[in-house]
Amino acid sequence: MAKLVSLSDSDLSASSEESVSSRIHRSLRLAEQEKRKNEAEKPFVLALKYFSEVEVGTPVVGNDEFENHLAQVEKVAFSKGLSPEAVSVMLEFAMSLRMGSSPCARVLKCLIPDSVVPQEAVFRAVVWLSVGKIPISTQVLFIKWVLTVFDMIDAKDKLRAIYGFIFSFITDENLVCDSNAFKLLGKAGRQPYLLHLLSLYKVFCPELVTLSIPSRMRSGFKNHISPWKSALMALQKRGSLQVASSISLNFTLKNKTGSRKRRHRHLELPELSRVTNTGVNTEQTSSRKLVPLVQIQSFEQLLKNMHQIELPAQMGSLLGSRLALQYLDCVQDESALLRLNFWLGYALHEEFLFCTDGGAGQNAEEALQFLNKLLSAQQFLQEGFHSSDAFLYKFLNIWDGSLLRPQILGLLSNIPVIPSSRECQNEKLSCGLIECLNNMLLKWLTWHSVYALEDDLDISLHSHTSINITLSGFKDSVMDLVCFVGRLASVGLQLEGCHSLLLSFVLDFYETVCDTFLKFGLPLVVMPPPGVFYPAMFATDPVSLDRLAYIMNRYKMNLTSAKSQEKVTSHAFHISRQTYQEFNNYLAFMVNCLWNSSMRCPETDIQLSEELLAKSGVPQPWMRFDLIHHPAFMMYAVEFHQKCWPGRKDMDLNSIKQAKPWSWYLEFLFTQGFGGLKDFFQNNISRPGQELDSAQSKKQPLVS
Amino acid sequence: MSVLKPFSKLPNLDTASILLVENEEQVQQGLAEALVEDSAQAVNVRLARSLPLPLENEKTRPRIDLVVFILNLTSDKSFKSANESLKYLDPGYFLGKVCFMVTNARYASGNMGRLDAVRKMAASLHCPLLFAEVQSPEGVTNAARRLLTILKVASGLVPNTSSLYLSNLTRCTKPPDIDQPSFD
Repeated sequence: MAKLVSLSDSDLSASSEESVSSRIHRSLRLAEQEKRKNEAEKPFVLALKYFSEVEVGTPVVGNDEFENHLAQVEKVAFSKGLSPEAVSVMLEFAMSLRMGSSPCARVLKCLIPDSVVPQEAVFRAVVWLSVGKIPISTQVLFIKWVLTVFDMIDAKDKLRAIYGFIFSFITDENLVCDSNAFKLLGKAGRQPYLLHLLSLYKVFCPELVTLSIPSRMRSGFKNHISPWKSALMALQKRGSLQVASSISLNFTLKNKTGSRKRRHRHLELPELSRVTNTGVNTEQTSSRKLVPLVQIQSFEQLLKNMHQIELPAQMGSLLGSRLALQYLDCVQDESALLRLNFWLGYALHEEFLFCTDGGAGQNAEEALQFLNKLLSAQQFLQEGFHSSDAFLYKFLNIWDGSLLRPQILGLLSNIPVIPSSRECQNEKLSCGLIECLNNMLLKWLTWHSVYALEDDLDISLHSHTSINITLSGFKDSVMDLVCFVGRLASVGLQLEGCHSLLLSFVLDFYETVCDTFLKFGLPLVVMPPPGVFYPAMFATDPVSLDRLAYIMNRYKMNLTSAKSQEKVTSHAFHISRQTYQEFNNYLAFMVNCLWNSSMRCPETDIQLSEELLAKSGVPQPWMRFDLIHHPAFMMYAVEFHQKCWPGRKDMDLNSIKQAKPWSWYLEFLFTQGFGGLKDFFQNNISRPGQELDSAQSKKQPLVS
Repeated sequence: MSVLKPFSKLPNLDTASILLVENEEQVQQGLAEALVEDSAQAVNVRLARSLPLPLENEKTRPRIDLVVFILNLTSDKSFKSANESLKYLDPGYFLGKVCFMVTNARYASGNMGRLDAVRKMAASLHCPLLFAEVQSPEGVTNAARRLLTILKVASGLVPNTSSLYLSNLTRCTKPPDIDQPSFD
């Protein structure tokens, strides 16, 4: 009706002015244009008024007034876009179902914002979503709309608070149960966007989505968002879209990348950018002033604005910025971590697990850089992200042991303590692996010494999760890891012929293990297996032997300190008799071999019969591994001999064993930098260097 | 005799023999070339689509030290064929002389059920389960290197160790739930 009246008005005025002169005609025409413009907007204003005031229960069928107003809104929406107020009014009208559910979808389809979408409107719509009886297809349409205009929502502080609610709404109401999901799928006809949403969920919480989803599914939302997207782009072309270029750039970029290259975009960290660039609106709608992270340039600025930081539109951008990581570390914002983890988990899954095209080699460089960025972020934060852990659990199952090995091992060493025993099936016995496991153990132990509570019962597993683990559970995990590495190292050394580089990495590991009690406060002592001890003992390089001596010495200190604590306090930890026995055997063997020139080793599982040794044809076999004849030290003995008796022609190394030369020889060895040996002998041999007859030297093994 | 036995023949001096069983015959050839190229020792590679092996070559066939089943995870037939072939192996082979090599695992990770079945099979037979990236030449070389490590032990070329000892560490174990860490 209103539209009809206004049309006849303008017709009337146009016909009455036909006979006026040209000059007046011109000015009048300008005025008339202005008037026309105003009047053209008038029906739109009327239409908005109609939609905001229309009574509940007004019929739709045969209602010309409604039809005309909606047509008017649609016309404006597709030509100029809707103002924030108009979006609010129309969204409120649609979601409140004042005229039933039939116009709802049609209104949603024409909701093309010209600048920003008020957060308040979206917030209210979500409320209606849970109150009203909106048909499922319309609910899905609404969520799709929110996804499309997400970057245009003016502020997200309130919205962020109900993220969990929105997610749980989707899962609880529709998608969780198989039956419900199928009902929904039946209604919506297994549409790709729905499957895509489900696949996102499967990544996020696989236990909730039991459907099997085809992995070949790339263009989930693409076709279905395009009506809004193309309208938005058309508006932008005409220059009527006031939103800054970052959003439109996003759209064009996404359109440009074809389906073949689509997967690559996960590997590029997004730029730090604001949610919207219309700062005025942000300040109006939110109670406090937010400072976007992109504007923070220095650490001082970060500290000043710590309480009012606005997170960027794409959380992936946080990984690339030191300041952003600092913020994340200080604030421990749950929702920020949740968003970051979601993004990261999705990117990792898409890129490394669901490969469809055969281009494994072509994005290797990108993958490398991506993982290196992730690694440096994790090193900066000194802990891993949940999503990368979850990804690793899956990826390790199908890893070939070489693809991106340094990065994967790096990520692996960041895995937090795993309560149950879980052996990663992996037979690639490399130094890198042992190093990775050593780093892992170091991180676990450091974490323990930092987070363990005084009463030593419950420990929070991750600094920002509530998962707890008991001390005994933690000990079991560490024990499993150490024993596993022991087995791995034994086999590895055997396969590689006791390679000294590998041996060095293994000794690195045991340098960590031998100090678990004194250095990290974890009441646990695990001895190395014979497969590690003996190769180190008989190694041909003096450095390995020196390190073994250092390790044995540290073991002794840990054990004695544990034992003295056991005597003092009642609830100290108990070290098994077997551990003491193992230690004593190793120690006795070392002292006997190096100092006493005897191969006797009491009560060990490895016994060499005299006959067998005699068969080897080596003269005086028991002397072959003392400090003079040990292959690692023979060179030093010869050098010492030459220095000690420069005139002698015939070399007799045994003459070093006499009282004076022996002590000089020890002094000589200790000046060569064998600190481990020095400590070992000072602690385990009584009066070192003063006992003339080496056979009389006493060893002091611990008694259990 | 249709069942393949590990110790029915004498070994050749300084030679290791490996049998690659693959129904699709996609990876076999490339892997065989990489195996021969990469090894310092003489390696004898035999190819087969499935077991049992034909009787006519019985005389000329060397003693097989390691049997490798190559499973393409994108194909159902691959798994079925390998499963059928297993019964033509002497139980002696399962003491460290059989391993499974899975290809295309990352391309079929949408289908976790198939991977689970393979894992169960390898775990029940106490065999190692290897994964290979056969789409790239580096991946094939790497797969060949890993097989060679096992092959050398299985054919007795590494002193002081045996395939049974190695398999004690490398054999596949079935974790209770591979998808999720158990505390989650």
